[in-house]
Amino acid sequence: MNFCKRAWLNVWAKKGRSILLILVSAAILMFVLAGLLIRSAAVKATNQAKAEVGATVTLSANRQAAFKQMRKSSQSKSSKRSKLTLNPVKLSDATKIAKLKHVGSYNVTSTTSANAKSYDTVSTSTGMGGGGTSGGPGKMGGKTTTSTGDTQIDGVTATSLTSDFSDKQSKIVKGRGITSSDRNTNHVVIEKELASQNDLSVGDTMTIKKTTGNKGTVKVKVVGIYKASSSSASTAGPMSTDPSNTVYASYTLANSLKGSKYANTADSVTFNVTAPSQVSQVKKAGNKVISSSKYALSTDDSSYQTVKASMSSFEGFANKIVWLVAIAGTIILALIVILMIRERRFEIGVLLSLGEARWKIVAQFFTEMIMVLVVALAIAGVGGKFVGNQLGSQLMSQAATTTQTTSSMAGQGQGGGQAAMTTQRARQRLSWPLRSVRSIWPNSVGLVLPLPSCRLCWLQEASCAWNRVKS
Amino acid sequence: MLKTQDLSYWYQNANQPLFKNVNLEFEEGESYAILGHSGTGKTTFLSLIAGLDTPKDGAILLQDQSLKKIGLTNYRRKHVAIVFQAYNLFTYMSPLNNLLTAMAITESKHAGDREYATQVLRDLGIGEDLITRNVQHLSGGQQQRVAIARTMVCDARLVVADEPTGNLDEDNTQAVITQFQSIAHDQKKCVVIVTHELDVAAMCDHQYRLENRQFTKLA
Repeated sequence: MNFCKRAWLNVWAKKGRSILLILVSAAILMFVLAGLLIRSAAVKATNQAKAEVGATVTLSANRQAAFKQMRKSSQSKSSKRSKLTLNPVKLSDATKIAKLKHVGSYNVTSTTSANAKSYDTVSTSTGMGGGGTSGGPGKMGGKTTTSTGDTQIDGVTATSLTSDFSDKQSKIVKGRGITSSDRNTNHVVIEKELASQNDLSVGDTMTIKKTTGNKGTVKVKVVGIYKASSSSASTAGPMSTDPSNTVYASYTLANSLKGSKYANTADSVTFNVTAPSQVSQVKKAGNKVISSSKYALSTDDSSYQTVKASMSSFEGFANKIVWLVAIAGTIILALIVILMIRERRFEIGVLLSLGEARWKIVAQFFTEMIMVLVVALAIAGVGGKFVGNQLGSQLMSQAATTTQTTSSMAGQGQGGGQAAMTTQRARQRLSWPLRSVRSIWPNSVGLVLPLPSCRLCWLQEASCAWNRVKS
Repeated sequence: MLKTQDLSYWYQNANQPLFKNVNLEFEEGESYAILGHSGTGKTTFLSLIAGLDTPKDGAILLQDQSLKKIGLTNYRRKHVAIVFQAYNLFTYMSPLNNLLTAMAITESKHAGDREYATQVLRDLGIGEDLITRNVQHLSGGQQQRVAIARTMVCDARLVVADEPTGNLDEDNTQAVITQFQSIAHDQKKCVVIVTHELDVAAMCDHQYRLENRQFTKLA
């Protein structure tokens, strides 16, 4: 083991050169460790984001099958025009799906309309020479499809599970929202404009008039007041009521307003899938427990796919950093070692003249490198730990923001006007790990990366996921 | 002890050898000087008998055994010690560590014996204050004495020296040659010195001149 002693003597005697080599190696190793750290953070963040963003499966009436049935009926009874009959979803079917693997919470939606009795609805002037309330939305279910009212009743399991509330489009300003405990009660949550116009507050009662059946009246109790950020009628269709006239209630109340035959039914049920990657399996399993001629299961994992694409791009970016630094570092270290060995040809000659074995000479140089690398690794480890702590806390704080945003994706429908929000969320999700990294490694990352074309993530236009989302 | 049999060497053209069919014999307890002008092949001959190179033709025998059979690395480690004109010490070590390293590599019977190494250095005039100092901080004469000490602590029976006094002044030259004579006569080793200095050669027991591709023994 004389070569080990020689290695030590050489490293110790040439302190300046050894320190320089340690610093260069430490810098390279720190870059590599940082790259690995970023990649590890990206993988963790990806998994977390994937878990949080979720995916949904919606159970609703099978419109395709209903249209097919309608066409068949109209062919047989050529003189008479047939009506489109949509079957409301039975809650017993929804319960079966809720028991499937990877299915988390679910939200029952039942929407109808009613007429104001003890209050005035909010009227909207369109500036086109007309004003006042327009017809309510047409609803599912046999004969009631033509019934309209000036107040829209949105029956839900809980307001917090609706996309409007989870997306912060609407928020409770007084009282509370509808929860699952409001089942079989007449509790409602009304819009702030409607409340102020009618001088209503939490605890007050209001009377609404059914639009179907005996057209009787129902007394409802206000338990909460919400504020809708998009209260303009322009956001709704030309036949819609003003958004302020939307009243949230338990789906049981909406069903009772529709009629007794709608008990234990829903317009649609949205299931949150806990493992977004398993959404197709959930759909497959769900189709087995329902009648596909009556109902259809639709999936919405677009958010998951967006996040997946964004994070894959980020992981690729981190991988590139690791490889780039590792290759560049290896080349730099190899060049240094080659220069060192060239410088020491004289010493090699002396060792050979003394009869030293070649492998021991090689082993001596390797031992010297290992000594230097061990110290460099320790320095890089300490530096990496510091960077890791900084990066970790930064990622955690960003993740908290992202969690709030991503959780709103659960139960999101396919309604219009969501595209801009989806893009905004995707941008936030995509950018936070990159912003975190950039804030910690502003100069070092810039050293090893070419000047990017995307200001957000520094990637080239073609490979930038944000640009893909934008387009 | 060491014999050359029809030893020939050339670099590129076999028709222009540095020396051809050289037959020499070197004995223990004797010192030999090889004289010659620059470029005649003195150092090349020394490289061959030191096992640093292989002959193009002929053979070198150590106690009637071919160097090929002994193995050049083994031969260099066990049977030969070399002193260079530029001392060729480990520049990142002290004189003591230079000796201890050489003793370890050559698997000397005194390997690891610091006292022995210190005594040898002391005998050659390298005092206590110098033995732990980096060799680069020693004078040329001191460094050459350390190089000679390195050959003394090894068990090699053959000591070859290439221009060992080339960088030394007169006093140091005298001291170094005295040491070589002591190695030859007291330690009963065979010392072969390549030099172009007649004074140095005259102090050796035998002198050979390399001229016109042949070795000639001087009277």
